Amino acid sequence: MSDPAAGAAPTAAAGTEAAAVGVAEMPFDAALAELQGVVGRLEQGNLPLEESIALYERGVALHEHCARLLTDAELRVQRLVESAGGALRALDLTPDDAEDA
Amino acid sequence: MSEERRAPLDPERPWNDWLRPTWDDAPAEPPRAAPAPGPGPTPATAGAAPTLGPRIRSVAEVTREIKDRLRAVPALRDLWVEGEVGQVSMSAAGHCYFTLKDDRAQLRAVIFRDERRAIPFEPRTGLRIVAHGRVDVFEQQGHYQLYVDMLQPAGLGDLALRLEAIKARLAAEGLFEAARKRPLPVWPRLIGVATSAQGAVLHDISRVLERRWPLARVVLAPCLVQGDAAPISIVAALRRLAAWRDPLTGLRPEVVILARGGGSLEDLWPFNDERVVRAVANHPVPVISGVGHETDVTLTDFAADLRAATPSVAAELAVPARHDQALALRALRARLDAGTQRSLRHARDAVTAEGRALDHLHPAAVLAGERERVGLLLDRARVAMDARLGSARTVLGRAGERLPVAARGRVVRASTSLHAARASLLALGPYATLERGYAIVRDERGGLLRDASTVAPGERVDVRLAHGGLDARVEHVRDSLP
Repeated sequence: MSDPAAGAAPTAAAGTEAAAVGVAEMPFDAALAELQGVVGRLEQGNLPLEESIALYERGVALHEHCARLLTDAELRVQRLVESAGGALRALDLTPDDAEDA
Repeated sequence: MSEERRAPLDPERPWNDWLRPTWDDAPAEPPRAAPAPGPGPTPATAGAAPTLGPRIRSVAEVTREIKDRLRAVPALRDLWVEGEVGQVSMSAAGHCYFTLKDDRAQLRAVIFRDERRAIPFEPRTGLRIVAHGRVDVFEQQGHYQLYVDMLQPAGLGDLALRLEAIKARLAAEGLFEAARKRPLPVWPRLIGVATSAQGAVLHDISRVLERRWPLARVVLAPCLVQGDAAPISIVAALRRLAAWRDPLTGLRPEVVILARGGGSLEDLWPFNDERVVRAVANHPVPVISGVGHETDVTLTDFAADLRAATPSVAAELAVPARHDQALALRALRARLDAGTQRSLRHARDAVTAEGRALDHLHPAAVLAGERERVGLLLDRARVAMDARLGSARTVLGRAGERLPVAARGRVVRASTSLHAARASLLALGPYATLERGYAIVRDERGGLLRDASTVAPGERVDVRLAHGGLDARVEHVRDSLP
């Protein structure tokens, strides 16, 4: 009785990891667009259970990534500096610098 | 009588005789000089010579003549005058009367009440101003005056004229046309800002972006925003932003904010400079102008893809609102959960259907009990999931913009309960029955086989066992159990 369940467990764990592949590096707009695609496919239905669950896990990973970006993001301000040769560099500018400068 | 007629200009004749006019031109005007009684011509002889002597006119007539002539001069109908304000007086009706003067002349001027409301600037004694209007005659008082419809401090009149000239030229080139305006990116990852490194403007912009869309990165190209060197400096800053590519991320600015705090027309003048206006119009990425306050309008505003009233508003317009995105994200999450639950329901229905197929092979009582257990467990799993997702959503709803850590925990738990439901499916579905030695046989089309007569020898069948399956071929078909 417990064999099939035990056999399924590693697959599910692998699925969870696979679901999060590449998500951490995604910009917000790309993650949101993919999440919209995932939801659209799930809502169309007619998917095998295995695929539904994989999609759900992918969707959860995308959603959490987007939510984390919205919550945790901190604005980064840089300042362009042009060298004598005309080459451009960007130097970090903290909000305090902006006030002092 | 006849002798006197032949010598009409006799100096000995009374003055009021030959001076006497005919009043035909202005019958309403009573004659001021009535013929004096005494020696001289009788009224009859005076009336007999109406065309002799100079034509006498009424005051109204003369004034009207001057007015008409004045009005016929185009240069006096639309002019700018610079001078110092002398006496200023305000009428009860709200009109403002004053004199404009320089060291050689004076000019009366009036601003009517309606114009005064439209002009943000009041004349004061001693001020040097530039006034725009028309010269006309005020007949009742017998003087001409400037009817003012626009007023500025002196030194700017010249600028205003130049502004109109540049504006007309660039408009003729099509630089301000709506068709040139480009759409802004919805999710800019890198925002270019051209403004002064000093002052509050960069701070204001940063604060808005931090609150509204901190996912964006900002790159500042500092420039002068005032004075003669400003136009070249602004153009250079715009050029740097156009050329910039972040070496680490490869990002380029996707939208540029050109901003400056409020100031006088003179202060804002660099943003009317033709070089700046052209650099804005021809910039490779969309430009938002946020120059001055609400009421300040510069040619840069016309050339920009979007005009913002202030630098802060420019920042608002550059990015989406975090709050809106959080709401959209929450709605997507709800749909994700609902869609998954629907899939789960379908899977349960399929299990029930397979269970029904096994009825043929299994003592009904055992199978019914088995199915009931599956059904109960699935229901329990679903109820549990609904409850957890439901409470997670409630927390999300309360949390507003910030997705709390607790809610994330609940979402993770909801996901875990999904796994549990799936494990139930695997453990308690028909496969448990297979453990006891039953098999599910499907034909080539995947249909469940219940009747031997529906397959022919040679056909492939798929046999599902508790562990693994068999791809088999039918050798013989028997009608009944052995």
